[in-house]
Amino acid sequence: MSVLTGKKKSNIVKDWRQQPKSIEKFQFVHHFLPHPEQQKRATLLSNRAIVIYCLAMLLIAGVFRFLPKVVPGVLGYASDITVKDLLTYTNARRKDAGLSELRLNSALTSAAHQKAEDMFKDQYWAHISPDGTEPWDFILGQNYDYIYAGENLAKNFSNSKDVVEAWMKSTSHKENLLSPNYDEIGFAVVNGVIEGYETTLVVQMFGRPRNAAQVASVYEEQTVLEKEATAAVSERVELPATEGTSESLQQPVYTQALPENPALDVTVATKTVSAVFGGFVGTLLALDVWYSKRKGIHKFTGHTVAHLGILVLVVASIWFVLTPGIVL
Amino acid sequence: MKEKTDTHLVEYAVLLSLAAIISLLFYYFRYDHRVLIFLSGVASFGYVLWGIIHHAVEGRLTKFIAAEYAVFGVLIFFLLYTVLSF
Repeated sequence: MSVLTGKKKSNIVKDWRQQPKSIEKFQFVHHFLPHPEQQKRATLLSNRAIVIYCLAMLLIAGVFRFLPKVVPGVLGYASDITVKDLLTYTNARRKDAGLSELRLNSALTSAAHQKAEDMFKDQYWAHISPDGTEPWDFILGQNYDYIYAGENLAKNFSNSKDVVEAWMKSTSHKENLLSPNYDEIGFAVVNGVIEGYETTLVVQMFGRPRNAAQVASVYEEQTVLEKEATAAVSERVELPATEGTSESLQQPVYTQALPENPALDVTVATKTVSAVFGGFVGTLLALDVWYSKRKGIHKFTGHTVAHLGILVLVVASIWFVLTPGIVL
Repeated sequence: MKEKTDTHLVEYAVLLSLAAIISLLFYYFRYDHRVLIFLSGVASFGYVLWGIIHHAVEGRLTKFIAAEYAVFGVLIFFLLYTVLSF
């Protein structure tokens, strides 16, 4: 710790007065480095500065919430989910649990597509629509006569594996996924805009037909998979209004989702914001530890190393553990 | 001096244990954002509490240090909440 006598101090002040640039430099440096004389942290690490970073993050989160209401679809969730992968991961989980594999059924697939389209059309995210339509209505609408039926939903996920893993982590969804009561399954992976965000909805429908002989054959499963794989390239194809085209055809047609790339991926954007603020404060804390040790500065503050350790852990969790996606 | 170092080690061991437990819970519930937001709140509050208790035990707790832990706790929560709320 350096203690300046009154005389030395006045000489330094006199020198600085003659060289205003050195004062500016001294002051600027201590925005980033601890102050040896005042025995304080860098200005940018003061309590006030931390409060400002918190407010700035709140403001940015507010913009991300408000923007989709003004410009729908500009923010979204990038995804690369396929029916084939969902089926593979689902059946792998069933196989691990000693259960029979589920066959992809065309009627359940159509019902799942209708459910996804209905959610985009009426802007809801629920098992029962605002007008009271239940999942079973979509299944029965495809003339699928069932003994048992079930539905799992997912949105905002980036890949098929995470979708199935998230269902497996939720008790009620896991019960559906690993139920011995089902023989068949149908998936819809559909892109669109919901609540202003460009996203991918995944609908998974399970069933056991009343007539056991009606369980989908391998051939039917292959046909459905091929149909899904060759579905139109755009997630929302608006057909051109040509003469003789019926009104229903001019409605947006939701199709099999291909890898989705919104203008701004919310997941990447929010992770970047957190990493930038966390990284900035973390760097200043690391500088504080290094500079204080080098100059022998003893500050009367909290433990910088503890702050730094927690911050590193938080930023690492944000980048390597947190994944987007909600199941219902 | 040795007693002080031992107390220090115990307190840091408590902090590391809490951090490890929260990290494991974070990984286990990584697909449930509501649980993760709750865990973020618990972790932030826990860190503030740890800081205050640690400095109180050391006999160097001031309003400024308590405020410092409080703002760092809020910062940690906002860093996680910004990602988890979307």
